[in-house]
Amino acid sequence: MSSAKTSSVTAAHSVVEPSPASRRIAGALVILYALVTLVPLAWIFLTSIKSPPDSISYPPKILFTPSLEGYCNLFTTRTRQTPDYIAALPPPSGVCDAVTRERNMVIAGPSNFLPRFTNSLIIAFGSTFLAVSLGTLAAYGFSRFKVPLADDLLFFILSTRMMPPIAVAIPIYLMYRQLGLSDTALGMMLLYTAVNVSLAVWLLKGFIDEIPREYEEAAMIDGYTRLQAFFKVVLPQATTGIAATAIFCLIFAWNEYAFASLLTSGSAQTAPPFIPTIIGEGGQDWPAVAAGTTIFLVPILVFTILLRKQLLRGITFGAVRK
Amino acid sequence: MTDHTLAPKKPRRPFFLRRGPMEALAVALIALGFLMLFQPFALVLYTYSFITLLAGTLMFTIVSKFPE
Amino acid sequence: MTASHDTFSDKMADAAVRATPEPLATRVRGLSDRAIAWLFIAPTIALLLAINIFPLFWAIWLSFTNFRANRPNAAVRNVGLDNYSRILNDPDIWASMQTTAHFVFWTILLQTVIGFALAWLIDRKFRGHAFWTTLILIPMMLSPAVVGNFWRFLYEPQIGLFAYAVSFVSGIPTSDIQMLGNVHLAPWAIIIVDTWMWTPYVMLICLAGLRSIPDYIYEAAEVDRASPWRQFWSITVPMALPFIMLAVLFRGIENFKMFDMVNLLTGGGPGSTTEVASIALKRDAFEAWATGRSSAFAIVLFVAVFGLANIYVKALNKVKQR
Repeated sequence: MSSAKTSSVTAAHSVVEPSPASRRIAGALVILYALVTLVPLAWIFLTSIKSPPDSISYPPKILFTPSLEGYCNLFTTRTRQTPDYIAALPPPSGVCDAVTRERNMVIAGPSNFLPRFTNSLIIAFGSTFLAVSLGTLAAYGFSRFKVPLADDLLFFILSTRMMPPIAVAIPIYLMYRQLGLSDTALGMMLLYTAVNVSLAVWLLKGFIDEIPREYEEAAMIDGYTRLQAFFKVVLPQATTGIAATAIFCLIFAWNEYAFASLLTSGSAQTAPPFIPTIIGEGGQDWPAVAAGTTIFLVPILVFTILLRKQLLRGITFGAVRK
Repeated sequence: MTDHTLAPKKPRRPFFLRRGPMEALAVALIALGFLMLFQPFALVLYTYSFITLLAGTLMFTIVSKFPE
Repeated sequence: MTASHDTFSDKMADAAVRATPEPLATRVRGLSDRAIAWLFIAPTIALLLAINIFPLFWAIWLSFTNFRANRPNAAVRNVGLDNYSRILNDPDIWASMQTTAHFVFWTILLQTVIGFALAWLIDRKFRGHAFWTTLILIPMMLSPAVVGNFWRFLYEPQIGLFAYAVSFVSGIPTSDIQMLGNVHLAPWAIIIVDTWMWTPYVMLICLAGLRSIPDYIYEAAEVDRASPWRQFWSITVPMALPFIMLAVLFRGIENFKMFDMVNLLTGGGPGSTTEVASIALKRDAFEAWATGRSSAFAIVLFVAVFGLANIYVKALNKVKQR
């Protein structure tokens, strides 16, 4: 409001150019909002470097001695031992060893976090590669050729992404059970590819539409076939679009929980259904959960910053190009 | 499609064969279906919400093929 | 337009091949544009048919039977419309729809109001607005499941930061701020997290809408001495409306089928106060194993989402034309 008022008072000042005062107020409000919404994220990180007693103290501690216990607990399983037993052990071989012994425990072995995290990596990257490859081809087809029923096919492709995951999960669960794809990385990869390919087609069609046809036509006059023109002219031109699309697909596959929690339980389980199950003695081990969450979120933070210019396009299926 | 000569002043098709009004009607039907699905007042409205939604959705799919 | 282009490019290609009889160029020449189009599109369509459409039809078939996934060997009987009639007359499922409605209504209202206000403020283009906008966008890129899980910690009445902050501001003892345990507060707990997470989404699309309004319209209004209040309601809001609709529809679809965040925050509890449709469906399908009946439920949800998706695509096209 404030900006609008000032602009009407100073008649020479156009509404299009907000006054400095209104800008400052707007800036202050936006920064306030940003800081408040970032508190939970900061808290995730802070909790991950707290010791368990610090993490559950009241009032919540902002100043504390950082501890690696959360990260140690995330990657290991531990067993409780008597102080005599621990005293008799050789000196600790690492930070985690020492931290664990202070709690009268010894490291029994690695936890499931690393395999689950690896599953997430394999499934997310695999499905992204497949979705973007298929999506690029299909997008080129829709962009350059007169495909019969193109609008209907495109709508059909998009509508598959809108399906409620739980509704699709029932028959997929049965189908995968029949095919032996339950709880396999391949099954999850195919599923995420199918969900992501719709986004990939829609986004990439927009990107390819923007590449002038004249480039290919020139290439074809020079003796390239249509396929060569596609691989040697269109693909290099579409690199930015393909990269942006790939990151969107990656983020979806990385974050997905509903299918993962219903269709995987053991060997192919990804990190999202695993992280909530991290428990310590007497309930949830919050520093370990926070540590897992932090490690899980860092790639997304990096991608978000890389993608910031393409975000709008991605979340509107390419409709808003700015 | 090919024989569109001059745009006639009066639409030749009756309104129930034109896309605009029929699409609006289908959207209204879907919206009504959601209201019936979500309302807390009468179970019978909830019971018939599905058929309303289905009708609206099918209608939308069909009428989106109509010319403007 | 595309047809004429194809014949044109065919001629071009023919001419090119005749002009430069390079062996590589002629080898793949046999593929017509039509063949390439189908070759490029077919894999995507095939994948979607296998992973999305086939299961969907299977679910439709199952919805007319009494099949139970935990008893695959029991005789499967066709029960006609029984499942649908049970789903559509079940007061518990009706209640889950109202829970969903409450969640969808409040999240959309809050996200639209806050998101639009933020976009309007950011559009003042204060110094550093790009940086703060990127920071604000971070929550929406994160995994709702993993971050939702961490919110359980923030919501803990005795040790959580949220309860502490609320009690610090309002003076209510933290033991009364049982966000996840109190039947009145739990629905709001999930609304708060969803709003925190997805307001940036609405903000980003609204911002695009505000930026799509050409300056000369405001300048003309200024010449006509329209008050800022009037300008806001007769220019800003109507011109940005297609974008707001886009955001509202997409959030509506997503929240109508919301599963992951609610499943981790409350799991539908306490009691069934936050049992949104997807949670009710999951309980029916994967806990009660009433596969036939839950398939009917899934189809009901699917039809509702499909109807919204139709409208969403219409809105997408409207925005695209801008």
